[in-house]
Amino acid sequence: MAYVATRGGERAIEQAERLYRAALGPITPERVAGIRDGMPLLIDRVMGEASLYAPDLAALALAQTGGDLYEAVMLLRAWRTTQPRLAIAQPIQTGEGLTHRRVSAAFKDIPGGQILGPTLDYSHRMLATAVLSGATVTPRPVEPAARPAPASPPPLADWQRAQGLLAPLNAPEIAPDAIPDVTREPLLFPASRAHTLQSLARADTGGMLALGYSAMRGYGQAHPTVNELRLTEAPLRVTHPCGTIFSAGRIRVGQAEVVNAKGAQLKLGFCASFGWNEVKTIAGATLDLNSPNAAPKSPTNPEFFLYHTEPVEASGFCIHFKLPHYVTFQSALDNLRGAARQKAEPGVAPELEPAE
Amino acid sequence: MTLAALTRKRADHSYGFLDASAKRELRRAMVKAVAVPGCQIPYASREVPMARGWGTGGLQVTLTLVNPRSCVKVIDQGADDSVNAASIRRFVTRVSGAAGTCDTTAATLIQSRHRIPEEVLRADQMLVLQVPNPEPLRPVEPDMSRARQMHADADYARLWLILYEQVVRAGRIMQGAGYPALVNGRHVMTPSPIPRWDLPKLHMAEHLTILSAGREKRLYAVPPHTTVEPLVFDDIPFRVEDHAVLTCGRSGLRGYFMNELPQADGGVMHEVSDSELGIKAIRAAEGSGPAPAPTWYRAGEFRRA
Repeated sequence: MAYVATRGGERAIEQAERLYRAALGPITPERVAGIRDGMPLLIDRVMGEASLYAPDLAALALAQTGGDLYEAVMLLRAWRTTQPRLAIAQPIQTGEGLTHRRVSAAFKDIPGGQILGPTLDYSHRMLATAVLSGATVTPRPVEPAARPAPASPPPLADWQRAQGLLAPLNAPEIAPDAIPDVTREPLLFPASRAHTLQSLARADTGGMLALGYSAMRGYGQAHPTVNELRLTEAPLRVTHPCGTIFSAGRIRVGQAEVVNAKGAQLKLGFCASFGWNEVKTIAGATLDLNSPNAAPKSPTNPEFFLYHTEPVEASGFCIHFKLPHYVTFQSALDNLRGAARQKAEPGVAPELEPAE
Repeated sequence: MTLAALTRKRADHSYGFLDASAKRELRRAMVKAVAVPGCQIPYASREVPMARGWGTGGLQVTLTLVNPRSCVKVIDQGADDSVNAASIRRFVTRVSGAAGTCDTTAATLIQSRHRIPEEVLRADQMLVLQVPNPEPLRPVEPDMSRARQMHADADYARLWLILYEQVVRAGRIMQGAGYPALVNGRHVMTPSPIPRWDLPKLHMAEHLTILSAGREKRLYAVPPHTTVEPLVFDDIPFRVEDHAVLTCGRSGLRGYFMNELPQADGGVMHEVSDSELGIKAIRAAEGSGPAPAPTWYRAGEFRRA
């Protein structure tokens, strides 16, 4: 009677949840603040996948779920979906915003220069075990450069277009209201570019890495070269009901462009997301780059990667297999036994008899 | 008249959790689905405070249809008291103020995973089925764009082909639950993973059934008095599970869909899958409750009322 244990109704559910919450202990404003300030990149990742830019709420979601990323994203999305949509912000242009980091692997130097910014790329990954014996690791102070980097270097793609290396931009001008919203409309295939980029922006980081990596390793058509990777604080400009455009603050945005240099012209893949998440945007841009003419059931086909990197859907479906399936399983067993009987006595119509 | 009298206090969530725009979208999708029986209608599918794949599609339909006068029953695998059913019922009643019930005959709105109750549903009842994979063509065409084209062309040849291959390989059709069925002579649907036992209950039924897949963002409907015909060959009739002669070890009921419970001594016990029907039968036998309402099956035979 295996499933009797998972029955028992409301009281058992209540106690199971209490058990989980007891292990986490009390959630205090201090704990939430500690998560928010101490783990900014985790906050960025949750905000990106939840498609809600709210560091305090993201920290709260992480505190409430004990750091289970998929649970935290689900919590935040369920909250955001009921909130009213007050305004539609103006698009953020690549060349604007306060640029903290901007690198290109395509050229040694680019107009506006390479800006390394904050990164662990060249660090030695050694665990600071001394902290566990009581020491405090205090970061060494940053020494300002003699000459400040430009705050908003121009997009490298502009220079490439002027050189004829990239096809000219032919994106039609779309009114903000006419841009579809993937959170309020179903994703249909073939997906529009707006839907593709929106879905990639809130896709699962790990899932995008797995599929993007498969393309990088040879299951795609193109080798990505990072054309430009940018981490910025971008202005959020919205239109006031009286018509004036004002800045409602800044958000951290990460974006990546990758190019393929095989044909007559460069081909460009793009991905952007809330927060600074370089792995996600490079993997996403690689998927985007590989998607035109991808084989129908390949990982770089938009239908394949957009469905399978949706974190709330994928994780939810995966854990639903914990729910009892005895009705469907019973139906399958019935077929199995019937087929076995038929095989044992071919030609004899299976009788109605109780399963043993 | 003051301004305060015209306003409402701000609440964290709308009535029934979903906001008005989400409900409006769902209502429009449901109207379309009723108008074109069995046709999958896309909808945005909002995130709800439950994991995807746990009945979020059914939940969104239920939250849209529920009102304070509703009486809600939730079934998971035939049982009202399994963890997910209890959790969904608790959530729906909490955000809607509707009453909850386990009694099939008392319910006006029934959300179910994998079972249609054994007691016959009436015209004033609505059944909402949670669907994991709404696409009957998924096994033969995983590409959604092509599958939609095949539905448009009523091109179900490859579906017939897999059924035929099953007959050749196993000697019988091996489709378990979720048996593909032609609705209103036009669209083939997968009737959610209900056992074959439950499929005849949809054919020319009195009640409205809405099938909704939250993760896959599609819903479809079987309106009342609509034909639902399982795909079968003329010489190999449709067969429900061989449960007609099984007896429930708890209630003594016979001729219903059963759960098989392996016993420690190597044997097997059966219990009726519709747990509330079993409870009703036990209570009626003890003289402490009414007898179950008429059921679709009698003595293991499907009979139209």
